[in-house]
Amino acid sequence: MSQFPEHLDPAILRGLLSPRVSRRQALQAGAVAGAASLLLPGVADAAVGDASWWANKSKTGNLNFANWPYYIDTYDGKHPTLDYLKTSNGITTTYSEVIEDNPTFYQQIRPSLQAGDPTGYDIIVMTDNAVGLRYLLNGNYLVPLDDTALTNFKKNASAAAKAVYANSGKRLIPWQSGMTSLAYNSSKVTTNTKSLKMAFDTSSSNVAKLRHRVGMLSDPIELGNIALLAIGKNPATSTPSDWQLAATKLRQQRDSGLVKAYYGNDIINELKQGNLWVGQVYSGDVFQARIGGNKNLKLMNPTEGALLWTDNMCIPKGAEHPRDAMIAMDFFYDPAVAAVLAYYVNYITPVPTAKAKLSSPAAGWQATTMTNLKKDIGVAASVITSAPEVFPTSAYKLKAYYAFKTQGEIDTWNEKFAGIPTGS
Amino acid sequence: MSESRGRSRRIGRLAPYLLGLPAIVWLAVFFLVPLGMMLVKALQECNPATGSCVMTWHWSSLSDAWSNSSTIIIRSLTYALAATVIDLVLSFPIAYWIAFYAGRRRNFFLIMLLVPFFVSFVIRTVIWKFLLSSDGLVVHTLQALHLVSSDYQILGTTGAVIAGLAYNFLPFTALPLYVSLERLSPALLEASHDLYAGRITTFRKVVLPLCVPGIFAAFLLTFIPAFGDYVNQQVLGGFSNTMVGTVIQNYFLVYNDFSTGSALSVIVMGISLVGILVYGRLLGSKSIGDFV
Repeated sequence: MSQFPEHLDPAILRGLLSPRVSRRQALQAGAVAGAASLLLPGVADAAVGDASWWANKSKTGNLNFANWPYYIDTYDGKHPTLDYLKTSNGITTTYSEVIEDNPTFYQQIRPSLQAGDPTGYDIIVMTDNAVGLRYLLNGNYLVPLDDTALTNFKKNASAAAKAVYANSGKRLIPWQSGMTSLAYNSSKVTTNTKSLKMAFDTSSSNVAKLRHRVGMLSDPIELGNIALLAIGKNPATSTPSDWQLAATKLRQQRDSGLVKAYYGNDIINELKQGNLWVGQVYSGDVFQARIGGNKNLKLMNPTEGALLWTDNMCIPKGAEHPRDAMIAMDFFYDPAVAAVLAYYVNYITPVPTAKAKLSSPAAGWQATTMTNLKKDIGVAASVITSAPEVFPTSAYKLKAYYAFKTQGEIDTWNEKFAGIPTGS
Repeated sequence: MSESRGRSRRIGRLAPYLLGLPAIVWLAVFFLVPLGMMLVKALQECNPATGSCVMTWHWSSLSDAWSNSSTIIIRSLTYALAATVIDLVLSFPIAYWIAFYAGRRRNFFLIMLLVPFFVSFVIRTVIWKFLLSSDGLVVHTLQALHLVSSDYQILGTTGAVIAGLAYNFLPFTALPLYVSLERLSPALLEASHDLYAGRITTFRKVVLPLCVPGIFAAFLLTFIPAFGDYVNQQVLGGFSNTMVGTVIQNYFLVYNDFSTGSALSVIVMGISLVGILVYGRLLGSKSIGDFV
C-alpha cells in the first residue's frame, strides 16, 4: 500500500500530542515543574463531552465551520461536500475561511473560551505542530468527541488518524495532512535534488549557483524543524543543543547569500513567478502549482526526511451545535467525500480508501461532483492518485516535528529561531 | 464693570482650552491611554496560553528590546527619512504646478494624483511586487535593453522597500504641500519680482519659508507612518531590510510575546514623540506674520 500513513516515523504514530494524562499525573507534573509545565494535554472536565452530556445534544440543522482558505472543494461559488452534507444529513453549514495562521486564530478565540462564551464556531481546524493547538488542549477548551458517533471514522480512518484521536484524549480528528519539504525549479537547479543540502550547502559553488534564489518559511516552527533535518537530527527527539546547531546552520545559510527572504504561505507564488528557484513549501501547494502549469516545479523527497503535519478538526467548548459538528466530522470520513476533498485540495487524506474512490468514483453525488470539479482542476483523478504530494509512497521518510512540553521550551525555541527571518 | 471685565478675561483665557477640549479628550482617550496601556504591558510578564499578565516592573524589558532591535529601529528611521525626502522632492514641483499653473483644472489634477490611492494599500504594494519580480515588466525590460545582468533582481533589496514606502505615502506629502502652496498669494511672488528677486531667490526667500507649515505637516504625515510600516518590507523586501513594524507584528501575532512587542512599541512611539517635539521646536508652525 502506498497511502499515507502506513510507513511513518514512530514519533508520528505516537502522536505529536502526548497521551492524555490523568488529573493525578497532571498534579504531580505541576508539583515538579510548576508553572513551566504549560503544555501537558489538559484533563477534560467531567461533564462536557461525556456520554450523558452528549446524550442531551441533538441535531439543530446548523453548523458553523471555521477553516483555512482554499481548503475545501469549491465549484461555481459553492462547496459541493457541504451541499452534500445538507442533502444527506440536513445540516446547513456556514463556512468561514477565517484561519490564516494558528497563533492569531488562537488569540482571537481565547477570550471567548476563557469567558465560557461561544466562539461562534462549532468546528475549527488547527495544526498539530503549532502551539495554539497545545494551548487549546492544555486549557481544556476542546470538547471530547462522541465516540459512538464516529462510525465512518472508526471504519475508514488511517492508523495515524486514529492515533491522533486516541492521543488527544479523543478531542481531535484529522482534516488533512501535508508535508513540508523543499520545492525546486528543475529547469534551473539540477544538483542535490534529493537532499536538503540544495538549500543549506553554503559552499561557494552552491552559493554562486543559487545566490538569493532560496526562500524559506518565516514560521520559526517550520524553519527550526527543517534545519534540524538538514543537520542530520531527528526533530522529534532533538534537544536545545541541537536547536542551537540548527540555528547556527540557518544563520550560515542566510548570511552566505543563498536566502533571498523568508515568506508566509505566499512562498509558492515566488516560486511560480521565478523569483525563487528553491523554497521551503507545503506539499499540496506544489502539486497545485504543477497542475496549474508550472511543470518544472518539483517537490523534493529529501534523504534527510520531510516533515509531516496534520490539521485537525475539533469542537471548541461553548459550541452551539456540537451534535451537528459530530455528524459533519464523521461525514468527512465517508471515502466518497474524502475522495472529493483530496481531488480538490491535494493534501494527504486521512482516509486511505479514498484513493480507490478516486479511481472508481461512486455513482451519483461523487461522480457528478468530480465531473464538475474536473472542469476547474483540469486533471484526471489518476493524476491525483499518482501524485506523491497527495499519496506519498513509502520512499518518503516522513518525520514528526518537535513536540513542545513546556512554555519554557517554546521560549527557548523562539529565542533560537525567531530572529533569523528578521536578520538578527 | 470691572468684575464683568475680569470674568470676560478669564473666559477669554479659557476659551482656547475649551475649544481644544474635544481634541484633548480625543488624544487622551485614543493616544495617551493606549500608550499607557502599552507601557504597562511592557512591564508585565504574560502567559501566551492564557493571556494573563503579571506586573513585574521589569524596566529592563525596554532596554532589552532596544538592545535587541536597535539596528532595526535605526534602519527603519533611515528608510522612513529616505522615503520622506524622496516624497518631498517629488511632491513639491507637482503641488507647485497644480497650485500655480493648473488653473481651472486644479481639481482634476488633484484627483488624478489621488486616484491610484483609492485602491487598498496592500493591493497596491502587491501589484508593485508583480511589476518588480524577476518575471515582471521592469526587470524584463531592463534585461532586454541589456542594462542589467540576467540574474538581476529588484525585489528583496533596500531600494525596493524605500521605493515602496515613497510610493505609498506620496499623497500624505503632496496634499499638505498643495494646501500650503495654494494659500500662498501670487501678489507676494509679484512683489518679490518687483523687488528684483530672481526665480531662485523668490523660491528660497518667499515660497519656501511660507511653505514651512506645509513641509512640517507633510514630513510628519509621511515619516511617522513610514517608520512603523510593516507592509512594504514584507512584500517588497528581504531579511536584510527588516523594519521595526515587522518585528513588532511578529512579537504580537507569531510568538504571542505581548510584553516584548509592547516594549518595542513604546520605544517606537517614544522616538516618534521626541522626534515630533524636537522637529516642532525647530520648524514649528509659522505664518506670514513671522516674516514681516
